[in-house]
Amino acid sequence: MAGHKTDPMISRRALLASTAAAALVGSTQAKARFLSGEVPWAPGAATPPEPALPGGWIYFTPDEARAVEAIVERLIPADELSPSGKDAGCAVFIDRQLAGPYGGAERLYMKPPFVAGTAPEFGPQSPLSPAQQYRVALKSLDAYCRSNFGGKGFAELAPEERDKVLAAMEKGEPKFDGFGSRPFFNLVLQNTMEGFFADPIYGGNRDMVGWKLIGFPGARYDYRDFIDHVTEPYTLPPVSLQGRAGWNPGR
Amino acid sequence: MKRALSLAASVLGLALAGGSTAALADGQDYVTITRGQYLATAGDCVSCHTAPGGKPFAGGRGIMTPFGVIYTPNITPDRETGLGAWSNDDFVAAMQHGVGKDGELLYPALPYPYYTKVTRTDLVAIKAYLDTLDPVRNEAPPNGLPFPLNIRTALMGWNMLFFTPGEFQPVAGKSDEWNRGAYLVEGLGHCGACHTPKNALGGDKGDKVLAGGVLDEWTAPNLGGDLRTGLGAWSTEDIVQYLKTGRNAKSAASGPMAEVVYYSTQHMTDADLKAMATYLKDRAGAPAPVAPQPVAATDPVMQAGLAIYQDNCSACHVSSGEGIARLFPALKGSAVVQADEPETLVRVVVQGTRAAATRAAPTGPGMPAFDWKLSDAQVASLLTYIRNAWGNAAAPVSADTVKKIHGRLTDTAATP
Ligand code: HEC
Ligand code: HEC
Ligand code: HEC
Repeated sequence: MAGHKTDPMISRRALLASTAAAALVGSTQAKARFLSGEVPWAPGAATPPEPALPGGWIYFTPDEARAVEAIVERLIPADELSPSGKDAGCAVFIDRQLAGPYGGAERLYMKPPFVAGTAPEFGPQSPLSPAQQYRVALKSLDAYCRSNFGGKGFAELAPEERDKVLAAMEKGEPKFDGFGSRPFFNLVLQNTMEGFFADPIYGGNRDMVGWKLIGFPGARYDYRDFIDHVTEPYTLPPVSLQGRAGWNPGR
Repeated sequence: MKRALSLAASVLGLALAGGSTAALADGQDYVTITRGQYLATAGDCVSCHTAPGGKPFAGGRGIMTPFGVIYTPNITPDRETGLGAWSNDDFVAAMQHGVGKDGELLYPALPYPYYTKVTRTDLVAIKAYLDTLDPVRNEAPPNGLPFPLNIRTALMGWNMLFFTPGEFQPVAGKSDEWNRGAYLVEGLGHCGACHTPKNALGGDKGDKVLAGGVLDEWTAPNLGGDLRTGLGAWSTEDIVQYLKTGRNAKSAASGPMAEVVYYSTQHMTDADLKAMATYLKDRAGAPAPVAPQPVAATDPVMQAGLAIYQDNCSACHVSSGEGIARLFPALKGSAVVQADEPETLVRVVVQGTRAAATRAAPTGPGMPAFDWKLSDAQVASLLTYIRNAWGNAAAPVSADTVKKIHGRLTDTAATP
């Protein structure tokens, strides 16, 4: 088994290298364009970010959505510093991400072999896309809660009970079918933090609460007026790719 | 289009090498032909008489007028579809009087009201140059003008009202340089075609020569001496730099002016550019409008505009509005920004813009489009702000005005 464990990895890497080479060759032969003079430009051309679609849940079923809201509400509870992960829109963020290229693992190499226990630099080792991981793990979570908490689903548990379940998942104690409770915990924690601090245009970080919490100025890239005044506080409010309230008169 | 010009040059070379005896017999010698090429460049014929992606001088570009589209004809020496059968007299009549080969009246979209000032000798040199081009068969598409404007005889009335034929007469008491500048600006350069405001029928407002006009949702600013809306703060050297390189420490040429610089003025001699600048700085311009009271910085619209400016524009144009010399135009003190007509401002914020790339300044710096993130109302606050910040003063811009101009924008004026 030991020999087996490394050989496929090598061949997988070799395969990656050869596809990269093929892609390079392919692009020089078929797609290369010679540009002389200057880079082409056209009026009105922009590649704006795609904002999260408004409206109801896109990927999650209503039950799944309730469970994920209940999770993110405990991972980032409301306190004197900020609203909860739920109120900041983290579940909406995750829903939209799972419905898009991230959820479908469109940019990951998803062919076998998948080898458990490899070093982190080998990347995720699951045949399931993130969207499928949520689906499978949320089902296990529901089953786990119902059998251990008198028939209640995760969202119906008291806050302390939910924390207990999450703490157990973090240690990998509950046995989940198809996708482990510990990798699932790590995945949701990662996605919740992303939702809390990503640009509000993607559905989370509502009203830039995450940025206000840590004093991040947002989508700005010019600090020339401030660079020489490092001892003075930076006074500009954070701004999203979509703007901020101050862009409208009287706000 | 660089290709186009060098193609023209090589054709010229061939014609000369082949020793076209007919041409020589007509007195169309090398000196005349090269002078004609230079003058055709100064007159910017190629920019109008070339369709996008088409053969140079073969016509077919649609010229937007407030009345409809007029397509430029083929001016290569093709006998059937071009000027191949035109005599010098035919050509001079078209350029100086707006009369076509069959006596029909031409639309002033051909800027004959300005070319009329060009001397016959210069026009014949231009014709000599055009005769050396490869003949291209190309018929211009029919014009899109509504009745009664599609009836050419209607132009007789127009000419009576707005057209003063006659070659340029040097002004006594002014230097040769000044007169050369006036000849180029008023004549071949046809600067007034864009920079002189037009009346409802498209004629020049005679009392407002070069006082600033609007074309195709671009504002061509006042070329008079006013500090706020004109060239008052520009030195002769600033003007020369602008016309030669497409930019200077204060500004950069966008849109139609980028075309003028790209096809025409960057190829002109320093002496001619300096002559034009000397004339522009010295001529008695029309009186400029009185500066309005600037909108107060405390006005909520100004506050919103400031916020939008800080978050979107200051990275390039700098919070002081002073820009970066030769890269990002200054908005502070800018005539374009403070012009009565905000067309350019709406256009560049909505669509973005790129300065001309010239031989002297080959990188055309660009500005991105903002339509995907700013509403018309936000653009209005932003423009009101840049028109009234840093000592600027100009009328506020309403969301309605932005909406109207935005709705009329087309992609036709891409920078060359
Ligand atoms: C601003 C655009 C513009 C510029 C610059 C311009 N033209 Fe034209 N020209 C036109 C248009 C439009 C027409 C057609 C007018 C009409 O159909 O009545 C035209 C018509 C002509 C005609 C008449 C041709 C015919 O078949 O009737 C000649 C000759 C001509 N142009 C030569 C020139 C020359 C030479 C220059 C440069 C010195 C020049 N044009 C610059 C727009 C322009
Ligand atoms: C096809 C229309 C057109 C013609 C012809 C034209 N201009 Fe312009 N010009 C413009 C526009 C539009 C602008 C504003 C450019 C901008 O916003 O960057 C401008 C800007 C300028 C400026 C800069 C003004 C400022 O305050 O920023 C100068 C100087 C100038 N033109 C000179 C000339 C001269 C000299 C000629 C004749 C040789 C000429 N232009 C012919 C359209 C034209
Ligand atoms: C990435 C840099 C960049 C940003 C950001 C930017 N601009 Fe520009 N801007 C430019 C460049 C470069 C030009 C000159 C392009 C040209 O001449 O066509 C320009 C031209 C202009 C002009 C025309 C000036 C003239 O003389 O014709 C105006 C007005 C303007 N910008 C306003 C703004 C406003 C308002 C914003 C914020 C919404 C903004 N710009 C953001 C780079 C930028």
